[in-house]
Amino acid sequence: MIRVRDLQVSYGDSVVAHIPELDLAAGQVLGIAGESGSGKSQTALALMGLTRYAGGSVTGSVQLGGVELSTLTNKQWRAVRGRRMAMILQSPRASLNPTITLGALFGRTLKLHGVPRAERQARMEQALVEVVLDPQILSRYPHEVSGGQAQRFAIALVAALRVDVLIADEPTSALDVTVQSEVIDVLRGLRERHGTAIVFISHDLAVIGELADQVMVMRRGEVVEQGPTSQILHEPAQQYTRELLLAVPVIGRTR
Amino acid sequence: MSRQTPDLLPAADLAGEPRRRLSRIWPGWGSAKRVPLLIIGSVLGALVVLAGLLAPWITPYPQDAGAVVHPAQTLLAPSAAHWFGTDMVGRDIFTRVIFGARVSLGIVVLVLVVSAVVGLTVGLAAGFFGGWLDSVLMRVTDVFLAFPALLLSVALAAVLSPSALHAAMAIAFTWWPWYARLARGQAASIRRQGYSDAARVLGASRTRQLVRHVLPNAATPVFVQMSLDAAGIILTAATLSYLGLGAQDPTPEWGLMVAQGQPLATTAWWVITFPGFAILLTAVAFNFVGDGLQTVFDPKRGLR
Repeated sequence: MIRVRDLQVSYGDSVVAHIPELDLAAGQVLGIAGESGSGKSQTALALMGLTRYAGGSVTGSVQLGGVELSTLTNKQWRAVRGRRMAMILQSPRASLNPTITLGALFGRTLKLHGVPRAERQARMEQALVEVVLDPQILSRYPHEVSGGQAQRFAIALVAALRVDVLIADEPTSALDVTVQSEVIDVLRGLRERHGTAIVFISHDLAVIGELADQVMVMRRGEVVEQGPTSQILHEPAQQYTRELLLAVPVIGRTR
Repeated sequence: MSRQTPDLLPAADLAGEPRRRLSRIWPGWGSAKRVPLLIIGSVLGALVVLAGLLAPWITPYPQDAGAVVHPAQTLLAPSAAHWFGTDMVGRDIFTRVIFGARVSLGIVVLVLVVSAVVGLTVGLAAGFFGGWLDSVLMRVTDVFLAFPALLLSVALAAVLSPSALHAAMAIAFTWWPWYARLARGQAASIRRQGYSDAARVLGASRTRQLVRHVLPNAATPVFVQMSLDAAGIILTAATLSYLGLGAQDPTPEWGLMVAQGQPLATTAWWVITFPGFAILLTAVAFNFVGDGLQTVFDPKRGLR
């Protein structure tokens, strides 16, 4: 689904992320792990084609379903974002416009992506059921919902848009442990029901281990280690990966 | 009653009892009603607006709002026939004060709309797009801010032929930069908010991001500032008219009426007093509304 070759993100002279090779099939989950400043969020930004707006530049090749993304125009990009690829962000409640209800937000987003009016309500309700939210939530404003609800709502939005690839940038980091596992469950459901490929970014290898099929460990913009989840978690080849694993509190494991 | 509701309330609670209906129309109502200044100001303000709207029907001598002269009844003291007395050409001052609400409110609305549109446009563009556009727009704004506002308005009004419309334009000319500054700061910070980014990753264009997500969130403080400014605009307009740079006779403008009555202050107190009170009352009403709104929207009260 996603095929990355020699992707390099830079701001001025400094390279903040370099991914030599990355392949992700439909229904697969890739975990990207690393400390702050390791380049994992910059990688996400580059995959969404938004680096330019943050003042950086990207070289190399990113393909989505065989289509090269690096040469797309602004307009073509907008048809990719939200339709083929979407992203959910770290602070779920801050990601919702406080001036409108969740229903208005949901409806507008579906409208933006050409979902006919007649179909919108059904799609919204179905997606909310998938993430175990009461459709009642559509009449709420963002400050009236909890962080976990907001993040599940974001995932519902992505499910209703039926994107092929979801990039989740630290989607559970702002949530407490029990709510984290709810969000993980919902993401797992999304992958199973719709075959959505997920790029799951986290500093927490334990969380990644619960969901990912393959893991990429990044540090200072470079890929340290890359491979199947079980291999990375149980037989890490690199000292840095071992250090990251040691940083995982055993009692804090959510499952 | 805070708006922070616990998770998964039963449906009945969201539907609300009848007495909570107002808070469904405007979510801030729940706390607005606990700010007495806002209620008093709104009622006073509404009275002024109503007086202006209904002027032809509630005044005893509607024709006195225009260019008429009653030589037989000049400078009559307040009486049952003329509640506020008559002016030096015999017109009913009550009628003219009520009609004056139209002129003053017209000027306020015109100034606020023009300044808000210009200020928000300039400020949002500068704050949202940043870079060189920000620098250029803000330096231009700074140039306007460098002059004392009233002085610049007076100078501009003096260049234009004196009329209520020109006075409004002169005021708007010096008023918008404040809104531009305010909106710029808001836009620059909201642009970095999660929901602004979220709109982008879901496929919104930059224009949509600006209009649908940054604008509504950046506008609230500007609206509050506008309600605070309404009183200032009334006073500025009255000042310009008082100086002979605004509305001209026979327009029933309060500042102008005060200016005309000033020489008679010791002999016919009513000519200057009632328009003066009208200015005071309207300015106070708008100030209360502005202060009240600021309290309601104050983040420290946990409402926004």
